[in-house]
Amino acid sequence: MIPEPNFGWTSTVGEVILGATRAEGGTRSRSYRIGGGTTLPFMEKGITSPSPLIAFEICDDSRFWSPIINEFCGDLIHDPGAWAKTAETTYGADLVRLCLTSTRQRDFSDIPTLGKTVETVLASTTLPLILEGSNEPKIDSEVFLKCGETGQGERLLLGTAEAGRYRSIAAAALAYNHSIIAQSPIDINLAKQLNILLTEIGVQKDHIVIDPYTGALGYGFEYSYSAMERIRFSALKGDADLAMPMICAPSDSLTIKEVREADTGVRNAIAVEWEFATSLAAAVAGAEIVCVRHPDTVKRLKAAFTGLKTRSGM
Amino acid sequence: MRTVTFLPGYNKIVAPRGTTILDAAQRAGINMNVVCGGQGKCGKCVVYVQSGKTKFDREKFGRFFTEEELKQGACLACETTIQGDLSVIIPESTLIQEQKILVNGIDTAIEFHPSVKKYYVELQSPTLADPSPDLSRLLWGIQKGGGPIAEKMYAPLEVMREIPALLRHSDWKVTGTIALVPGGYRLIDLQENDTSQRLYGAAVDLGSTTVVAYLWDLITGKVAAVASNYNRQISCGEDILARVNYAQKNGIEKLQALAVDSINAALTTAANSARIDREDIYEVVVAGNTVMTHMLLGIDPAYIIKEPYVPVVQRALSVAAARIGLTCNKNCGLFAFPAVSDFIGGDIIADILACGMSEKEEISLLVDIGTNFEVVLGNKEWMFSCAGAAGPALEGGEVLFGMRANPGAIEKITIDPVTLAPAFSTISGIKPRGITGSGLIDILAELLSAGVIDRTGRINMEIKNPRIRAGAHFPEYVIAWARETDIRKDIVITENDIKNLIMSKASIHAACVTLMKEAGVSRLDIATIYFAGAFGNYINKKNATIIGLIPEIDLERIKNIGNGAVAGANLALINRRKRKLLDGIAGQIAYIELNAEPSFMDEYTSSVFLPHTDLSLFPRVQALLESIREKKEAP
Amino acid sequence: MALKALDIYKLLPKKNCKECGDPTCLTFAMKLAAGKADIDICPYLDENAKSVLGATTRPPIKLVKLGVGERSFAVGDEFVLYRHDKTFYHPPGIMFKVLDTQSEEEIMAITARVRDETLTRVGADLKFNGTAIVNTSGTADAYAKAVASVEKTAGLPEVLVSDNPAALAAALVLCGSYHPLICAATQENYKQMCALAKQYGCRLVVRAPALDALAQLTKDCVAEGVKNLLIDPAPQTLGDFITRSTAIRQLAITRAVPDLGYPVYLDATAFDDEDAAIALGIVKYSSVIVTSPLSPASAKAVLTLRQNIYTDPQKPIQMNPGLYRVGTPGKDAPVLMTVNFSLTYFTLQGYLESSRVPCFMLIVDTEGLSVLTSVAAGKLNETLIRDAIRKFGVENEVTHRKLIIPGYSAPLSGRIEEATGWKVLVGPRDAAEIGEYLHQEWKP
Repeated sequence: MIPEPNFGWTSTVGEVILGATRAEGGTRSRSYRIGGGTTLPFMEKGITSPSPLIAFEICDDSRFWSPIINEFCGDLIHDPGAWAKTAETTYGADLVRLCLTSTRQRDFSDIPTLGKTVETVLASTTLPLILEGSNEPKIDSEVFLKCGETGQGERLLLGTAEAGRYRSIAAAALAYNHSIIAQSPIDINLAKQLNILLTEIGVQKDHIVIDPYTGALGYGFEYSYSAMERIRFSALKGDADLAMPMICAPSDSLTIKEVREADTGVRNAIAVEWEFATSLAAAVAGAEIVCVRHPDTVKRLKAAFTGLKTRSGM
Repeated sequence: MRTVTFLPGYNKIVAPRGTTILDAAQRAGINMNVVCGGQGKCGKCVVYVQSGKTKFDREKFGRFFTEEELKQGACLACETTIQGDLSVIIPESTLIQEQKILVNGIDTAIEFHPSVKKYYVELQSPTLADPSPDLSRLLWGIQKGGGPIAEKMYAPLEVMREIPALLRHSDWKVTGTIALVPGGYRLIDLQENDTSQRLYGAAVDLGSTTVVAYLWDLITGKVAAVASNYNRQISCGEDILARVNYAQKNGIEKLQALAVDSINAALTTAANSARIDREDIYEVVVAGNTVMTHMLLGIDPAYIIKEPYVPVVQRALSVAAARIGLTCNKNCGLFAFPAVSDFIGGDIIADILACGMSEKEEISLLVDIGTNFEVVLGNKEWMFSCAGAAGPALEGGEVLFGMRANPGAIEKITIDPVTLAPAFSTISGIKPRGITGSGLIDILAELLSAGVIDRTGRINMEIKNPRIRAGAHFPEYVIAWARETDIRKDIVITENDIKNLIMSKASIHAACVTLMKEAGVSRLDIATIYFAGAFGNYINKKNATIIGLIPEIDLERIKNIGNGAVAGANLALINRRKRKLLDGIAGQIAYIELNAEPSFMDEYTSSVFLPHTDLSLFPRVQALLESIREKKEAP
Repeated sequence: MALKALDIYKLLPKKNCKECGDPTCLTFAMKLAAGKADIDICPYLDENAKSVLGATTRPPIKLVKLGVGERSFAVGDEFVLYRHDKTFYHPPGIMFKVLDTQSEEEIMAITARVRDETLTRVGADLKFNGTAIVNTSGTADAYAKAVASVEKTAGLPEVLVSDNPAALAAALVLCGSYHPLICAATQENYKQMCALAKQYGCRLVVRAPALDALAQLTKDCVAEGVKNLLIDPAPQTLGDFITRSTAIRQLAITRAVPDLGYPVYLDATAFDDEDAAIALGIVKYSSVIVTSPLSPASAKAVLTLRQNIYTDPQKPIQMNPGLYRVGTPGKDAPVLMTVNFSLTYFTLQGYLESSRVPCFMLIVDTEGLSVLTSVAAGKLNETLIRDAIRKFGVENEVTHRKLIIPGYSAPLSGRIEEATGWKVLVGPRDAAEIGEYLHQEWKP
């Protein structure tokens, strides 16, 4: 008889809850418990463990968004509410990730409008929400507090904390009971360091999602892939400071040369292919949430994840 | 015999009752300020006798001290004799250089076996009945006088030519100098009459920045004098690379001459201060890094710094000192330490010899820190070594208010965790001018403990305290307000300084871990960590551990050997048997190229954190930081 | 697990005899640990030590070579489950499928595409590896004709996919001596397949959906005299593939089931989303992947993914040092110095392009180390930068003498100024901020 492969795992990935239903104090149609893996992704014995979640990314200022998506999604890009709704009903996403790109404008200060946008999106979709906040350290505190307050009770996932910028976002998350994306530049040690910094100022481990930073295919993915594998490996080997679920956003895929400079005829196909291959490999390496921007990528990932969860029974 | 313990280094030395503290200190290798040459005139050699019985004339020398100081046991080392077992504090201001150059380091008694000896003999003049040749007569005489067996000695032609006239002119009363060289016992000098009490040797640390020379009386086995000065090659380039490039362009001659000049200058200063004729220096032992040793000997060092980094010579060398231009006795020998590689040179071999790690069963870790750092891990059976650039941050460079260990440099500091007010001491006790390496290590540890910086070294700007402010370019912490300083400027440490320091300490820690992984050794297997190098002696071991400069082990198992290069050279000079170990040590060390080690980058990144990303490697530091945090949050 | 140098040292005679060419047993042990020396060089090794050391240095997965000539390739000979433990050595061959029912023109066109299509990325030419000729017709004549068409077009490695021994025999007459891969031997036909493989010295795929059957089958084929095997666990779903392929790899490298120590074969055409199957095959241990001819978009993504996964994650790809242009920089354009770590280069280049400030990038040789590490390791220093400025003639390209250096190399700024005579401006630590930095700070 062939023995079962023994990987020597001693521990499991921690869990984080995203979104809150009415019963849980929010307004979402569902909530997710992510993490909890006991072995390498898709290697679980039973096939009851959930597939990775697919988050569809939208923004509130399309000037800072890929022209490929702007073209593909048409008028939706000017209406975050409708866009979010379409992501849920038509594209089939599991999560919506709202990127507040309007904060990238010079001297941005219109915090009240941000609050309204978040309200609108929350009202338009029943999916749990990931909120990607300020791009400018000076307004971090205001932006995150506004986001946190607006989404109170919804168990948002707030992004993004970095080693040099984590206090404001942590304060907002702690005040309104949200979770945090902790992003570090493709390095297991830096990921761990940020988790330690966050827990030292009071953020609970079950409120942290690791973003090891996903370099696009050909532009750093060779490192991202192993960084993710190592993080998952460390979690399963019992390193509590790395035992958090991971989020992966191959957003760079749409800006790399191969996509940017492709002929118009194949540009769309290359964009999808790049997002798809990167996200799929990232999920296999351990990402519990993959974020994409092209609607076509959502469908293909869904099918692939279903295939990965299916065993022919031999 | 009495035992004297010198603090703060805990250097112990055994000395006969009645010896002066100065003598004992010099024998222990401690380099004290003795401007007047030990005549009780200058009042510089101030020490504090903490316990034990001494003899010191307070009436006569009281003028050098305040009442308060006398109460604390202040006395002049040159005028105080040892009566019982003593514990003596040597204040930093008593150490010789303005720039503190370390000289002590060996805490074990040194056996005395010099390789050069002098024999005074009174020979019978030849007769018809005893017509044996002059040389045989002389050598027989030396053998009878306690020297080596006559047949095993030989005389070089230069000396042979002098024999007949000299013997007859001196009425057959001569002093022969016999050196044990690789070829056997060599008669290196012959002098008229009895000069047998005049025999000196020098041990030299030829560093790329400084040259330190110890002059030893090879009859009594005592240090006669110590001197140091800057390496004059600095005029050809600040660092080694620049000097090798200079040599490639302009030839090696000038650099060779400057290296020799630097040593000659140090020898002259030392000899003059002890009133020694340089003609009586019969042996010079030099420990220097690989490039310095090559340059001193006039060997082209160009290939050391180019791939595949090959030195011309690795083994220990014995040559005539006069051939390279050292101004000593014309027959003086020069012994140069062997090297392992481009980065692990004779200075490191000397460190190893000084700490004795290559003779022990237990595993030691040696860390030598300068602008470059070298790390050696091992025991009598095996040794791994590596080297890298630490950057000058730990020497005070690349830090806004960093400075070398000169007067006015803050060298120790504590920070009140509640008020964030610092308390510090400076070298020579004057108003602060800047911060030196040991002070920087303290600051890092204290700021971390006080919660002013997080583990990545970023200053928490949410803290409301006037000492924490945005700064011109980076957030900063004010250590001393302008009015408290000697430079009329606020002395600060910036977030950028802290980053540079963390990068430096991370390189060193990562190098330690890389060797430990190569050997499959954990921090718990390390019996002793030896700190060597310029500021090793002043380092606060606890703070060095808190910031993760070195692996966490019991503090009492961390030892400072200070300038290990000169300590090793001293050992090799006064105990020739130690030299036999050197080629063995050099041959035993495996060198690991950090750049070729794929895991180094990983270790480095995980070390760029205070104390380290893997907190389980620093359990005590972690417990300490937690307890400080709890105490802070308690009220 | 590989042995540490010191563990190996303990098994060595510790004579320091130097007969191996190394100065000490310890340095020899370090070479052994790094796989840079052979244990047989040591004349004084005892049998016990030899067997211990030999067992840990033999590859747990067999090395199999496919094809002949310039485009032949080897697979297998892997040591790890996670590429960060060492690296993956032999990238999978990707074979385009042709059918013997296709026209000669179609077959030749596909083959020519495999022969010619090249994607050049970070200094490497990426290509597909060969063809998989499928005996869809079921007849020997058609099959031999298809193989002849392929052979006529290019001398590429081939997979011969057929369960008809007669068809295979007809094909092997044409290409049998070029080390093709026969696909596939099963429990039912392995004797016939082995006979063919043995006759022509071919490589052979063995197929069974269960691992114990696979292990038995490899043993049987070896007994028949065929050793160059690949194994196909016949997945029907992506889930089947990832679980079986991972199990095979794990059991092989831990030497728990040596009979599974062969490279894995994947037929991606069996899946709805072939791209998904290929991507999984690349990341999860496949050595030969058969696919339909890929669309241009898929082709680029697949070749790039394969290059990424088979890059040593500890050894970054290096850029050639030199002076690179972003846009068309003039004489007063900024000069930005950085290291030749490809990720640093491409990241910076991307942000520079989007900043729309034409400029020069001076790439210096830090042997692929990042800024942070090369500063720490002393690789990045003023001499290197000075020499690069000279070597690449930067002084002729611009009239100013200002050099922007990465934020993490700030400690070197003074020394660079001294060595080069250029004024040094310290740029941001994060490449993302370079656009803003240039807009705000740059004045020639």
